[in-house]
Amino acid sequence: MIATSSLSIAERDELRAAARGLLSRDSSSERVRAVINETPGFDGRLWDEMVELGWTSLHVPTDLGGGGAGYAELGVMLHELGRAIVPSPFLASSVLASGAFMLCERRTFADEMLASIVAGDAVGSVALANAAGSYDQALLSVEWEHDAGSIRLSGSSGFVLDADCSDIVVVAARDAAGAPAVVAVDTAAPGVRVEHTPTVDATHRLFTVSFRDVVVPDDRMLTEHGAGAGELLDRVLALGVIAAASDATGVAERALGRAADYAKDRVQFGKPIGSFQAVKHHCANMAIAVEASRAAVRAAWDSLDRGPRAWPMTAAVVSSYVGPACAEACALALRVHGGLGFTWEHDSHLFLKRAKLDEVLFGTPSWHRRRLAREVIGDVETPEECTA
Amino acid sequence: MTAGSFSAVPVPGGNLQDLRRSVREWCASHIPDDWRDQQRGVSREELVAFLQWWGGQLRQAGLSAPHLPAEWGGGFSIPEQVVIAEELARGDAPRNALYHVALFNVAPTILRSATPEQCERIRSGILAGEVWCQGFSEPNAGSDLASLQTRAVRDGDHYVVTGQKVWTSWAGEADWCILLVRTDADAPKHKGLSCLVMDMRLPGIEVRPIRQATGASSFNELFLDEVVVPVEQCIGAENDGWAVAQGTLSAERAIVILDMTERLRRNGIAAAVQDASERVLESGERALEDVAVREKLAERYAESEVLRNLLSAMIEDVIRGADVGGTSAVIKIFYTELLANLMRQITDLHGLAAQLDQPLLESAGWESGFWMNDYVHSFGWAIAGGSSEILRNVIGERMLGLPR
Repeated sequence: MIATSSLSIAERDELRAAARGLLSRDSSSERVRAVINETPGFDGRLWDEMVELGWTSLHVPTDLGGGGAGYAELGVMLHELGRAIVPSPFLASSVLASGAFMLCERRTFADEMLASIVAGDAVGSVALANAAGSYDQALLSVEWEHDAGSIRLSGSSGFVLDADCSDIVVVAARDAAGAPAVVAVDTAAPGVRVEHTPTVDATHRLFTVSFRDVVVPDDRMLTEHGAGAGELLDRVLALGVIAAASDATGVAERALGRAADYAKDRVQFGKPIGSFQAVKHHCANMAIAVEASRAAVRAAWDSLDRGPRAWPMTAAVVSSYVGPACAEACALALRVHGGLGFTWEHDSHLFLKRAKLDEVLFGTPSWHRRRLAREVIGDVETPEECTA
Repeated sequence: MTAGSFSAVPVPGGNLQDLRRSVREWCASHIPDDWRDQQRGVSREELVAFLQWWGGQLRQAGLSAPHLPAEWGGGFSIPEQVVIAEELARGDAPRNALYHVALFNVAPTILRSATPEQCERIRSGILAGEVWCQGFSEPNAGSDLASLQTRAVRDGDHYVVTGQKVWTSWAGEADWCILLVRTDADAPKHKGLSCLVMDMRLPGIEVRPIRQATGASSFNELFLDEVVVPVEQCIGAENDGWAVAQGTLSAERAIVILDMTERLRRNGIAAAVQDASERVLESGERALEDVAVREKLAERYAESEVLRNLLSAMIEDVIRGADVGGTSAVIKIFYTELLANLMRQITDLHGLAAQLDQPLLESAGWESGFWMNDYVHSFGWAIAGGSSEILRNVIGERMLGLPR
């Protein structure tokens, strides 16, 4: 099941304007600062409103109650959520868990879950990284095994988004022989433990999820284990990379707007500081990063909408450029604000921290470049003595 | 033409796949396999003869000016121009360097601002293979072009032009020069300029080559001493030269940089990968197996993809008629930095071996395979056609609205 973009450019612009309008009203940075210090760490009313408006299921097929739009529209929403640094389960539930349920082979349970997520009855997340935060499938730290018509899981997964408010987590696991599997686990199941791992950026909320002999029915394995499961994990990871890049692009665009406004207003030596080339060039460098990131992310979503080819490669290109470029843009925005940008009260640090987390949330740019190198340059030949 | 067949000569108005096939076949049968080997280290005369020959080949095939109207030998839509640029780069076609000023700077300017008579005369000359040069910059008017001092004094039915121009490519070969001069010394600096067309055979013109950092002499100084230019050679209104000189349109700029980007991908990134697979590092490892080398190459590859995405977005905007002034500055800087980083990186990859001198391959443009020299050459891009520093001002002021 692949999302297909069906909205015109004008409709996409309308969606963008509607999202920006609502979020600038209901998710000001004061509001964000307030909700991240309360339980559950995001604005539940805003989330309900987004569900109500259909924004959380734009790309889900209409027969499951979704909007029937494409990944490109999902990208528009992610960008706007990034602009307003909104804490919400959107990335975890609407992008990643929904993505896994849409892309997997076995439909019955997946369709049920999708319908619940669309209706706002359930929130989902994914646990793709090992305990140390690596997305390398050979290093997964959750083990699975068959156990009399059921599947037994043990181990733990780190850096899981919004696990505390998720009803279900899609878990990447490997068996003793190293075969990957993708298993949906009820967070209420006995043996599942969710532990908050506070991050510097409090607008994303990350958890360690551990499994102690957790037993789930067979039909929770979403795709045949082995190569198919590996491919599914690659594709969900690609969604995560591009989604985080959309978010970062929105954050950087907002940071740029704030910095440019400040550079026009702030007067020193009798002139607005934006007239000084040192400051102007910082702003220009931010604009280059934002413009290029927007083009890269849009092209990536469009290519996902065109079909299932080469998602990991598309994601690697995006990770290599967009994450570092947007984080650097936020760093420059902080600099343009001078001493003010270094204070807790100013939003510069919120932008910078969110962009820095986005940069590495689904694998470091360096790791993605190595994956890209395998495609572009070819594999390093294995010396013969190692293959014997 | 029957359905499913395609023209052996690329023509506008068909489907893009057929156009791609016919350009690809044309490239296969017309681009000499060994032109890079043949052209390495040639004399100036041989270089010019080769570029004249190559420009003629492109003209005959209708591929030298896809962006111009049909009567100029073009008539291709923007998507068709993209296909042609992609295929010429893919086929490693030599650059049409000798005619670049005529086709990409002069023709668009003329089309916007000249009278029908001027237009017709210039068009027939360009179609017959006349070479043009551009006399805009001066020793004291680089980034601040509007401060130029070359004077054109009206005397009855002609101007008397005196001054000095610099960075003039192909001045020694050119038949004509498109010249920006000051016709009103008392007006504010942007308001007193005029755009003239000057016959390069007129008395009073002296061309002196400038040897640049790479050792090649692609540019010249142009000394003008009371050169008599007829009044009817003024393009646009007298004193309206600043507006006339802004003539190259964004669509053409997008296609020019698309061409360079495709060449960078083919001859830069792909060559870097090839080099890495052959190069053995001091440590005895193959470069291809070195993690740092692999990561950097992948990073440049990703940037080349992002540059393509930026160009596609800009081309869409051009088709939609949106303003792309800021975007084209972004793209120029992005290209410049990618080129410089890639050239430096390939040079570094080769270590001491990259420092050995080699004959130049001037017809290859920015990725000649003599990497240390290509690295030096790449600095030209950060300066020519708007320095990166000036372009950052443009982005700051036009895109972001920062004060001057």
